[in-house]
Amino acid sequence: MAHISIENLTVEFAIFGASSRSLKNQILSQATGGRVMAGARDIVTVRAIDGLNLEINDGDRIGLVGHNGSGKTTLLRVLAGIYKPSGGAITIEGRVGALFNSHAGMDPESTGLENIYLRGYMMGMGRREIAAKLDDIAEFTELGDFLRLPMRTYSAGMFARLAFAVSTAAHNDILLIDEGLGAGDAAFQKKVRQRIENLFDRTSIVILASHSEALISEFCSRRVQLEHGVLKNAA
Amino acid sequence: MTTAALPKQKAPVTRISAESVPAQAFADLLNGARLYELWSRFAFHDIRQRFRRSVLGPFWLTFSMGILVATLGLVFSALFQQDVAKTLPYIATGIIFWGLLTSCINEGTMVFISAESEIRNLPMPLNVHFYRMMARNVMIWGFNMAIYVVVVVWFGLMPGWNALLFVPSFILFLINTAWISLAVGVLSTRYRDIPQLIANAIQVIFFLTPIFWSPAALPSRPAFVELNPFYHLIEIVRAPLLGEVVSQLSWGLSIGMALAGLGFTAWLYRRAHARIAYWV
Repeated sequence: MAHISIENLTVEFAIFGASSRSLKNQILSQATGGRVMAGARDIVTVRAIDGLNLEINDGDRIGLVGHNGSGKTTLLRVLAGIYKPSGGAITIEGRVGALFNSHAGMDPESTGLENIYLRGYMMGMGRREIAAKLDDIAEFTELGDFLRLPMRTYSAGMFARLAFAVSTAAHNDILLIDEGLGAGDAAFQKKVRQRIENLFDRTSIVILASHSEALISEFCSRRVQLEHGVLKNAA
Repeated sequence: MTTAALPKQKAPVTRISAESVPAQAFADLLNGARLYELWSRFAFHDIRQRFRRSVLGPFWLTFSMGILVATLGLVFSALFQQDVAKTLPYIATGIIFWGLLTSCINEGTMVFISAESEIRNLPMPLNVHFYRMMARNVMIWGFNMAIYVVVVVWFGLMPGWNALLFVPSFILFLINTAWISLAVGVLSTRYRDIPQLIANAIQVIFFLTPIFWSPAALPSRPAFVELNPFYHLIEIVRAPLLGEVVSQLSWGLSIGMALAGLGFTAWLYRRAHARIAYWV
C-alpha cells in the first residue's frame, strides 16, 4: 500500500547573490511567492513551505493548486527526495517516480532510440525493462524512421512526443507531476489522454500540480491548495 | 535497478526528516554507487558522444596524448641533454596520470553545476553525477594507457616485479583523486569563484611538479618538490610502471593524504549534501 505522510514540513532555502532587496520588491512579494526573509549579509532566505501537514492515502489523485511561487514545485521536489526538509519530516511508502521536466536527461545529439534508453535509465528503469517497452514507446510516438536520427533534427512537437512517451512508460507506486502533461498536435491528443489514463490506473498515488482547472477536475479526486507555502484548502 | 522487473514487492518505506538529513549523507553516497549501471553507461555515452562521426573515435584521445608526449619527450631530452629512452617513458607516464588527476579535479568543480537540470528534475542521488565524471575519466585514462604500452615496447622497458605495486598504488591514487574532486565539487557549487581559482592553480602546479622534468636534474630538492603532494601522488603510480622503487615518503604522504582527505570530504559532504540541490 502506498502512503505519504507529511508532518510539519518546512523548507527554506538561501538565495545567494540576490543583492539588497528593494522596498518595491518587498511589497510585491506579499502578493506572489513564498515568504522572503532577510538573512545575514547578502543572503536572502525563502521559506517556500511553512509547517505543512498532509496525509495522502492509497488511491488518492491529488490536484495541487496555488498561484505561481506558492510552493507546489518545492513540495513535489521534497517528495521526490531532491530537496531536503529544513524542518519536520516526510514518510513515503512506495517507489516514487517524477515527471517534472520531461526533457531532463535527454541528449539532442543522440538518436531518438538512444534517448529512449538515456531517459529510461534516468527514470530509474533497467536495460531489460526499457528493451521490453521499446516497441510500445516507439509505436506510440509514430516517429518511425526518425527514431534513428539525432534528436536535434526533430521539431519541438516530435521532441515532446518522444519525451512524453518515455516518461509515461515507467512504473511506480507514486507519481509526481509538475505542470505540463501532454504533447503533440490535436489529432495526437486522444492517444495522449488514453496513455495518461492508463498510467494513472496503474499508479497508486498521483500528485498533479497544475494551473489547469480542467485537467485537475478531470483527473483528480482531491484538491490541495497552497498559498505562501501554507496549506490553504484541502478537500 | 531491476526491482521493477521483479514481481510486485513490498513497497519500500523512506523517511526523511530535518534531523536525519546529515546522517543520510553516507547512505546517499552508497545508494549512488549502487547505480553503477546508470553512471557507467552515461560515462560511456559521454565519450562516444564526444567523438561521434569522427574516423578515429575515442582513439583521438590516445592520438592527441601521444603527440603531446612525443613532442615533450623529444624537446626536453634535447634541452636537458638526457637520454630519450629515459626521458620519454618518464614524461609519458607522468602526463597520463597528471591528466587523469587534473581532469577529475577540473571537471569536479562543475560536476553538480553542469548537472543542474538532472539534479532538480530527477529523483536520484545527486552523487551519481560525480561517479559518472570519475568513470568517464578512468575510461579516458584507459585509452591513454595505450601510449604507455607503445612506449614500453618501443624502448624495451622491463618494469619487473615492482610493476605489481601499481595495483595498490593506483587504488590509492584514485582515492585521493576522488576525495579532492568531490570536495571541490561541493565547494564550487556554493562558491562560484572556486572553479576559476582551481583552473589557475592547476596550471601553476603543473610547472612546479616534476612531470615533464625530473628532480634528478636538480642539485638539491627544493621544498616545492619534496613537500609537493601532487609530486608524491604521481610518483606512487609512475615509479612502479617504470620499474623503480616508490620512496617511503611518497607512500606515507599519499596514505596520510587519503585518510585526512577522506575525513575532510566526509565532514564536508555530511554538512553540505542536502543543500547542493538548492545551490545548483
